[in-house]
Order: sequence, then C-alpha cells, then structure tokens
Amino acid sequence: MIVLHAFHTDGQLLLWGEAPTPSSPDSSTWRRQKRRGNAAAFFPYGADAIALSAALVHTAGGVVAHADGQETRFVWLPTVAGQPLASSPLIAEPPESDAHATLAPWRVTTLWLAPPEAVSLLCSCVNSETLAPGVIIGKDLAFWAMAMRFAGALVARQQFLPTVRHAGESRAGSLTKREKHGRYRTCWEPVFLGTDATRLAQLAKAMPPVCRALTREVIAPPATPALTVLTMFLNATVDYLVRSSLVGNATGVFSRASTKRQVRTRPQSFASIHDHWLYTLRAAEEEMVGDASSLAQFAEQVREWQRPITASTATPFRLCFRLEEPVADDMEIARSGRSANTAWYVRYLLQAADDPSLLVPAADAWTANGRTAAIFTKKGFNPREYLLTSLGQAAGISPRVEDSLRKSTPSGYTLDASGAHEFLTEQAWLLEQAGFGVLLPAWWTGKGTKLRLTARATVRSPKMQGGSGLSLDQIVRFNWEVALGDETLSLPELQTLARLKAPLVKVRGQWVQLNAEEIQAALDFWKRKTADEMTVRAMVRMALGAGTAPGGMPFAGVTATGWIADLLAQLDGQAAFEELPQPAAFQGTLRPYQVRGYSWLAFLRHWGLGACLADDMGLGKTPQTLALIQRDWQTNDKRPVLLICPTSVVGNWQKEAARFTPDLPVMVHHGLTRTKGAAFKREASKQAIVLSSYALLHRDFEFLTDIPWAGVILDEAQNIKNPETKQARAARSLTADYHIALTGTPVENNVGDLWSILEFLNPSFLGTQAEFKRTFFVPIQANHDPEATERLKRLTGPFILRRLKTDKTIISDLPEKMEMKVYCTLTKEQASLYAAVVEEATAALESAEGIQRKGVILATLSKLKQVCNHPAQFLGDNSAISGRSGKLARLTEMLEEALSTGDRALVFSQFAEMGEILKRHLQGTFGREVMFLHGAVPKKQRDRLVERFQTDEDGPRIFVLSLKAGGTGLNLTAANHVFHFDRWWNPAVENQATDRAFRIGQHKNVQVHKFLCVGTLEEKIDEMIARKQEVAAKVVGTGEGWLTELSTEELKELFALRQEVVGE
Amino acid sequence: MSRWGYYDYFEPSRPRAVQGGIKAQSKRGTFGESWWAKRWIAVLESFHIGSRLERGRSYARRGQVLSINIDKGTAKAKVQGSRPTPYAVTITIKALTTADWKKLIQALSSQALFAAKLLAGEMPQDIEQVFTAVGLSLFPAALQELDTECSCPDWSNPCKHIAAVYYLLGEEFDRDPFLLFLLRGRSRDELVKHLGGISPSPQRDDTAARQDAGSASSSLVAAAPTEPLPAEASRFWRGADLPDDLFGEVQIPPVSAALPRRLGNFPFWRGAERLPEVLESLYRQASQRGLEAFLGELRKKDSDR
Repeated sequence: MIVLHAFHTDGQLLLWGEAPTPSSPDSSTWRRQKRRGNAAAFFPYGADAIALSAALVHTAGGVVAHADGQETRFVWLPTVAGQPLASSPLIAEPPESDAHATLAPWRVTTLWLAPPEAVSLLCSCVNSETLAPGVIIGKDLAFWAMAMRFAGALVARQQFLPTVRHAGESRAGSLTKREKHGRYRTCWEPVFLGTDATRLAQLAKAMPPVCRALTREVIAPPATPALTVLTMFLNATVDYLVRSSLVGNATGVFSRASTKRQVRTRPQSFASIHDHWLYTLRAAEEEMVGDASSLAQFAEQVREWQRPITASTATPFRLCFRLEEPVADDMEIARSGRSANTAWYVRYLLQAADDPSLLVPAADAWTANGRTAAIFTKKGFNPREYLLTSLGQAAGISPRVEDSLRKSTPSGYTLDASGAHEFLTEQAWLLEQAGFGVLLPAWWTGKGTKLRLTARATVRSPKMQGGSGLSLDQIVRFNWEVALGDETLSLPELQTLARLKAPLVKVRGQWVQLNAEEIQAALDFWKRKTADEMTVRAMVRMALGAGTAPGGMPFAGVTATGWIADLLAQLDGQAAFEELPQPAAFQGTLRPYQVRGYSWLAFLRHWGLGACLADDMGLGKTPQTLALIQRDWQTNDKRPVLLICPTSVVGNWQKEAARFTPDLPVMVHHGLTRTKGAAFKREASKQAIVLSSYALLHRDFEFLTDIPWAGVILDEAQNIKNPETKQARAARSLTADYHIALTGTPVENNVGDLWSILEFLNPSFLGTQAEFKRTFFVPIQANHDPEATERLKRLTGPFILRRLKTDKTIISDLPEKMEMKVYCTLTKEQASLYAAVVEEATAALESAEGIQRKGVILATLSKLKQVCNHPAQFLGDNSAISGRSGKLARLTEMLEEALSTGDRALVFSQFAEMGEILKRHLQGTFGREVMFLHGAVPKKQRDRLVERFQTDEDGPRIFVLSLKAGGTGLNLTAANHVFHFDRWWNPAVENQATDRAFRIGQHKNVQVHKFLCVGTLEEKIDEMIARKQEVAAKVVGTGEGWLTELSTEELKELFALRQEVVGE
Repeated sequence: MSRWGYYDYFEPSRPRAVQGGIKAQSKRGTFGESWWAKRWIAVLESFHIGSRLERGRSYARRGQVLSINIDKGTAKAKVQGSRPTPYAVTITIKALTTADWKKLIQALSSQALFAAKLLAGEMPQDIEQVFTAVGLSLFPAALQELDTECSCPDWSNPCKHIAAVYYLLGEEFDRDPFLLFLLRGRSRDELVKHLGGISPSPQRDDTAARQDAGSASSSLVAAAPTEPLPAEASRFWRGADLPDDLFGEVQIPPVSAALPRRLGNFPFWRGAERLPEVLESLYRQASQRGLEAFLGELRKKDSDR
C-alpha cells in the first residue's frame, strides 16, 4: 500500500509517497549516511522511487515518471519525540496526542512528473479516493486535482491572457534593473475576475498545509503562503493546457528537458519581437532570448496593454448590472389597447467581493457619505474612480451604458422590452464574461424565460387488432399543438401574441420570451393540421423528453388517449401498474415491496423495455428477478435466460435459484470444462437459466450470441459502466426479448456511467454516446444545468427502480434483522489446496486412533477452513492477497456497495491471521482506515477503537474483529451490516457476535451475511445444522467437538469437495 | 557634392529594407480606426504636402519606422531611409498651460462619460467640443503649433519620414488616447488624478493588487508575506472542505477571446500575423482542452506513449 503525495515547484509536480514499512534496502543505506551527516534523517515511511513508479502504472493509461526524475527533498512534518507523524493510520498508528508536535525535516525520495503526466495523473484522481487497490490518493494530491480542474475551468471559460515575464521574475516586481539582463519567458496566465477571485481565495484556504511542506535544503520550514503556491500551480497548469492544445502533447515535447532548457533549435530568426512572441506562445518552449533592453521594453508594453484588465482584479467591489422589470401586463395592454409604463431599468450597483449580497446603488456611491462612505473607506476603496473606470469599460461593450454617461453621476438606464431582451440574451453574457456582475430576474433561466411557448404532440391510440397484443413497434399518427405552460393556445391567442412583435411579453403575470420563428412555426401547425407518424417506441421516448418539435420550439411532451396514455402514465409513475401474484411455482414468499418490484419488472418486460433494478443490498434483487424468470419461462416457450454475474456470485445464484425456483433447470457455464459451440447451444436450449461470468461473456461471445435468449440479465451491472470495455460491448450486442440490469450501487448518481447501462437496456434511448455526452454529460457535469439533470431523470427514471432500506415509507415490512447466507466460489488455487488437505487427512485417518484421531480431525477442519478463507492464511507465507479467494472477492464487492451507501460494517473471523489479512486488503482496496480488534489489543486501545467506530463521523467504517476478542460485550450499534467471514459451528456464538450490532441503540435494520464456500465442508456443516436445528442447539453448544464423533466414512463425505463451481 | 549631384543621389532614393520595424495595422485606405486617430491624421493631411504624404504612408506600411518614443510635448522616432544610419525625427507640439488645463478639467467633469471613457482607454466622441468651448484645441490647429524636425537631407518639412511617424502616431493613439494628452503636456496619471475630482489612492497599481506569485527570487520572497505550516498532524495533513459547486458553470463561450478583445489593439504591432485573429482561433482551441481537463478527461491514452 502507498499513499501518494504531491508538491508543486518550478512548474512541475513532484510526487512522493508514504508506505507502511521502510520500503527498500537502499533507503536504509541512505539513513546510515544521514545519521553521520546533518540533522535530517530519511523519512521512515517514505516510499522509494520503485514503489512510486509502480504506483503510477495503475493510473488510467499509465503515467510514466521521467527517467531521470528522481530527486531527494526534505519534507517538514509534524514530529513527536523524534518520530514523524504519518498522514493516516493506514501508514502508522497516530500517537495519543499531537500537542507537542514540532516541524522537523525528513529526507524523502521524489519523482518529477512532466506536465502531461501530471495532468493525466490529476485527472485520474478526480472523484476517487484510490488510483488502484492499495494506491491511495493523499489529501494534497486530491487538492491538486481540484486545482487542476479550476485551471481547466479558467481555460474553458477563456479567462487567461498571453503575457511575457522576466525569467524568475515575481509578479509583484516592477521594472527593475535586473530585468535589463536576463531571459524572458512567454506564458499564458489565468485572470481572476469577480467570482474567480473568490474561488481562488476559497481554494487557497482549503489547501492542506502538506502541499507546501517540501524544501530543497534544510534551512527552515517553508512558509510560502498557500495563495502563492496555488497561484504558481494555476499559472503553470493554465500555461500548459493552452500550449498543449496548440502543439499537442503526443510527442513528448513537454518533457522536463525541453521545457526547462533550450534544446530545440529555433526554426528561424524572427522579423520582429512580436513574431517571436507569437511563435513562443504557440510552441512548447517558452523562452525568448534576445536583446535584453528591447525585451524589457516589450514586457512593459505587454503589461501596459493588459492594464485595463489586471487593474480590475482584486478590488473589494465590482460593478454590477441589475435588470429591473416593469409591472404591467402586455397581453392586457394589447387587448385593451391601453398603454402603460413598460420601461425596464438597468441599475448600476457596486457589489462587495467578499459579500455578494452587499449591493450599493451607484446613485448612493457617487456621493457616498455617512454609513455608505464608511463601507468604502474601510476597504480603502475609491468608489468614484472605480465607477468611472468600470463604466468606461462597460461603455465599450454596451452603447446604452455609454449613452447613460451623459450625466455627471449616472445611476442606470431605461430600456424597452426588446432592449431588455437584448440585455438578457446578449449583453448580460458579454458583461459577465468581461468580469462585471450581472443580476437578472428569477424567471430568466439563462437560456430563456421559465415560461415559454411549447409544442406538444397529441396522439390517439389505435384500436387493438383482433387479439394480437399491443406492441411498441406499432405505428401511430399524431398532431402538434402549441401551449403556454399548461394551457393550450387558441388561434386568436396565438395571433395576439404574434401581433405584439415583442421578444418579451408579460402574459397572465408572467414573462414570456417570444421568438418570431417559433410563433410562425406555431401558426404553421395551425394551418397544416396534418398528422405525422412514428412508432409507439419513438413516441414513448419523445414523451419522456427526448423529442424535438419543428421550428425549434421547446418540446413539452405528449398528450395521449387510450392505451398509449395508460402506458405513458405508468412509465411516468403517475398511474400504478398491475400488481401480479407471485408465480405459483415460486417457492417462498415475496415481501410486498418485492411483489411490486417483480410486477414492475414484468410490466417493462411486457413492453419489451429494459429495466434496471437498483435496490439496496439486502432487499432481495435475486428473488424478484427469479420470480420474473419463473413467470416468463412458463409463458414464453421455455426459452433460456442468460444471466451474467461476477465469478464470485455464480454459486450464490445457483443456490438461490435452487431455493426459490427449484423447477427451473439451471446451467452453469463456467470453468475450463465448460461446453462450447454447438454442444453449448444444445445444452443451453434446455435450460431456464444459463449462468456465466463477465469474462466469458466476451470470450465465448461467438456462440453466446447464437442463442435466441428470452432475456439477458446482468448482475452487478456496474461492471459494464465503461462502454469501451469488451464486456460492455459484448453485453450491448446480445439480442433478447428483454434486458435487465441489477446493481446495488447508486448508478443514477453517476451521469457518466448511465449511458452504457441504459444503452444495454434500451438501445438508442439516450442517443449515441457522443450525443449523450453533448446533451447530458457536459451540461450536467460542467454547466450544472438543472434542466439537463431533470431531462435525464425523466428519460431514465421509468427504467430504474431503486429502493433504499432506510426508506420506511416504501419498505415497511422489512424485519429488523435479516440473515442471509452468502455462497462463495473457491478459486482454482483454493480448490487444489483443498483437495490436497483432504487427501492428506484421509490417509492420516486410516491409521490414527483415539486422541490422535481427534487431533487429525480438528487440525483438518481448521486447515480446510483456512483454505476456504484464503490460501495466504493457509500457507501462512505472507504472499499476495488479491484474486486468490472467492470469499474475499465477494466480501470486497459487498463492502464496496455498503460503503457507497454510507453504511458501516463489522467483519468477524475466528482467525486472527485472517483478520490481519482482511484489514490489510480492505485498507488497500478502499484507501480508508479499517480497524482490527484481536486478543492482543490492550483494553484501553480497544475502548478507543470502539469509541471511534461509534462516534467519529469521519472515522473508519469497517471494523474487523476476531470472534474471540470482539464477539461479546462490545456495543457496536453504528454498524448495520455484520459479516461472518467464516463460520463457527455454534449458532449461539455467532448470534452473540451479531448482537454487537443488533441490540438496544440500533435504529437501522441489521443485515447479517454468513459466508460459506459452495461444495465445501462449510456448506455441508451448514446443511447439517439446518437439518437438525434442535439437535444442533444441543450438540453444537459444545463447539466443534461433536464432529470428532463422526465415523471415518462420514468424515470423508464431509470433507470431500463436491464438484461445483470453481472460479478461475 | 554639387547641387545636381545631390538630386542625382536623392531622386532614386529607395529606403533600405528593414526587418522588424513598426508596421502599420492598416493595410490600405486610411490610417487609424478611432475618430481621434483619424482626426489627428486629418491635421497632417490638411497641410497639403503632396506626394510626400503618399510616400510617408508607404514607409509606415513597410515598417521603415524603427522606434517611436513619446514624452511630454514630444515624439521622437528613428526612421530607416536610404542611408545606413536611420534618420532622427522629432515632432514637438505646443503644450497647454496649467491654467488652460484647469479650465479644461472643470469642463470635462460635467459628464461622467469623459472621465469614464478616458479611464477605460477611449476618447470621448465630443471631447473636442469641450476643448473648443473653453477656447482651446486638442489637435494642433495650425502648422505653427506643430514643430517637426528630421535629420534627412530633404529640405521640405514635413518630409516623408515625418509623415510616416505621424501616421503611426495616429495608430498609436487608437490604443492609448492619453498619448495625445501627453503630447499636450499632461501624463495619464496627472490627468486621471484631476478628472472628476479623483484623489489619488495609494494602492491602485495593478502589480500591487496582484499577489506575489514567485518565490525564485530571494529578495522578493523576503518581502512577501509568510504563512507558517501548522505542526499539528490533524491540521497539517488535511485542508478545509470546499463547496460542491465551487466552480459554478463551466461553458465554452460562444464568442471567442473576449478578454483580449476588451484590450484592443496591441501597441505598435509589428508581427506578420494580425494578433486578434490569431488569438481568436487559439482561444477556441484552448477552450475545448480546458473543458476536458475540468471534466478530468485528459488522461493519457496508451496510444500517446
């Protein structure tokens, strides 16, 4: 595990890291050298260059640090008693108190990243906590990612200017003598106007101090202000982003060598300094070398040229324009022929930079006295001069502002409706871009008035034709009509509006933007009165908001009658769909909300629409889905369903299918011995369910696609969220009558992930990927466009059902404690280890007697359990963890889901070694602290762990406990999930452990997940206990001893590995 | 050198080619875009100096003028003619008296427009009338108010060299109208101080308003404010929370390069390409990339390596 940190200096990102243990031998040699030399020792948790490079390999596309980019720096860290304090308990336990900490320098290895690598790395850090399992993004690195996004936003909004600076010159420096000799560099610099200045300050305030804790020499702790450090970063990043957009970065031109030194020969000498400047602004290298005095003069000219903008930054107030509306109603005036005061007014105000709600009208500011004057003088601000300067600049943008300046103290200007419309649509935008404040009425949304003329389609459902069911592929005819808000407009009303010839009118008390072309289009509908045609499927899509109306008018939906109206209302959630009884062959009872979920699936399936069931973990997506498969199988020619899931849950599906739908034939398509090609086709056609994994979906696609599937179901559908992956492509290419996606992670919250899943469910509903990006992703992610968010929600809402276990109004029938068995699959390695242990035991049992025999049995039991847990636990060799245990894979998936919804979990194991492995693995995977309580933890520390888990809001959310040390006495009600990673054959002991969470003080439902490996003794013992509950309660009460009473034959059968699913 | 010989030398005079001289922005037609630049050039043209005007214009367009320095009352320039050593041109304009300035400033304060426009770097349309109203004139009204000199052998004054400088000054006024006032005896700062009764405020320099962003130069760092690192681990490793919507709306602007547009023409532009056009396309390209960075999508692809 490694926590990555970053420091920014000289336009480059320096990467360093922390790892829990001193990493490599060469760092210890370093330390020895240092002990002899001066004060700074090697940072004990410092990651070496190899570890840093290895961590970078995990970033998207791979970031490669520059070959000669390794350097030693000093990081000034809080230090207590000669020990540096690590950033997180993942690295080292914090001391009891850091009250006496002082800053001390520690040697640390750093890697230089060239700008393209740095930006790529920072992009990978956006919205995540880890780069890969075990590669954790430090708070400082996350901060730089945030700052990089700010730089991106400034460049996107074009808030930057080209300039030239003396190499090594400070921005505060005026023309000094030193400037006469020396080199210059051209740069693209960000400009912070208005809100951007506030953002800059906010960001600087939020900078973790570690961002500026590195020095080259051991002299004194660094004290450069955060704002300075941040500004340097933004300058460098903006410069790089602009430059790289002009020259491209593919050829490595931005490597450190070429930006820092003069390595490329210039293609030509320049006719003028201006040509030279333009050349370097568009090149990767930034230096201008030439006659010092003419360069200095040129630099001064550039500064002078930019003065109007640079002077307007960082003033305590800014000029603000507020559009104020008249009160009369235009429609009234047009009808009655009366005239009224229809004057609009643009008022000039001074807006305080640190308090945007403080607005001083210019009228008061001109002659500021008393309290108003005090506001200004406190900030050392000259309102007169500022108003004059800014108004003069605004006059260049708006002729109306210019006209208003005919007075000696102008306070605003009046304008008519078309002037106001022009202000709203053009000038407001221009003024805002130029850094002025603009305040618009609330009914203006940025694109237009909230109330607008809209077009809607009206459709009458065709009659059902002789028994053939209704289908979305039917063609229907529809008409257009024009409405204002909810009201349909009549022809005379429309004509009245047309006569107004104003772009902005007030109708029934509300402002409406009128577009002459739209009105014309509307009048054309009226004349035409002809109908258009489309399929019901297209009509549904249109009704959900994906439509466009002719004439460019905003589209307001579909008015329908008959069955189409019913369908639309049901999709929109305005009408209930029929609740179905659960299929007769379905074993067990669906809870009421599960019946609704099953009915919903059936409803969408009936119309051939895809559905995404995204219920919270534990609400039973599996039985709801199985109920649907059961119902469909009976009514749909007994054609098979392809169910794709992660390898770790194949066994679980098999078990659940056997439990809920025992008469459905299930086939597992997995493992090396799986059938292929024609044999597979023959075999699969006889099944109701064919279970397979994502890996095989792609690998066996050739013949998987050959089957006329009734349905394709993806479990853990977030596996296809990246549309580029092979498995996502394969999933989208499979044809079937219906498609279902199951997931417990809140997919609807991540706009970027939605397209791929929806495209699988309902192809082309969200448009192509590029269209989706343009119409939804960018507007929502970059522009925070609430309208786009709303549209996307309407369009996807009908196909996503997500119910939360916390939502008592929906799920009133959930028990307070739910116990579930989680069937896991052994990996191939586990299976062969398991077989070896059994073989050894069988041989030993033949010859052993009495006590010795008991010893063999108990030892074998323990070994087999260890194998089921993890090969590394069994082998005790401290080997790699990832990808070797089916249980661990499943636990990780489930915990990820639980964490994504803010839950907390207890994980019990009877083995302390396993607890250690779990803690290490989970910490690395999630990049968050995981607590571990075992027998060797002293009481004081145990109390602290418990307290942190119970009360610390930002504290660890996963608590691993050894069954012995944590199974009794503790109060851990903050948890609402209890995982039993391995089983203790005494239900009472397990229940006691469960009761750490399920006890007084628990306000949530508690989910108990009992893990067992399919086909192993774990499953068989579980079956035995279930079969003889009452016996179990008695005999099992004594622990595992009862097992030793079994006969050798019984034992052999118990130990034997049933040939079941084995993962790859 | 005989009289005839002199003319023999002078007549075919072809100026030496210059690289990197000040090139006029205007490629053809009239010089200067603003009304005041036009007005300035009209003064020159009213002197009826014939073909020298034409030659001066082509000098200005070809970049024969090497440099121009403007100071109170005078503009000094170097112009490359046919001789190896450039000619020295001086244009001197009669400065206004302090009393005249006082009258003028009073008259200018009657409308906010005058001060506002001047502060924003523009010349108010009817400022000339204000001058006239108080019995003064902004532009040289007669040859007598204008004193021009050139080191060239041409006896006529204004010569083509002076004309070339004159034209370029016109373009320069486009950018900075205060230069006109400077030639009349008042610097920008002096004028601004008086317009609208503005008292000079101490911290108006843009460089002071901007934060010191450099640390490479040690003398400046010493003067810069410091912000010591906290020693508590709890504060050291983490920063403050930020609002989710910190960055607001991020959109590619429909009109490209609004900021440099607001700055107007670059003074004495001599580049082969026109700056505004270059910047416009360049800003558009950069904008797209900025948006990708903002969305976290600038990840290196394998193909980039």
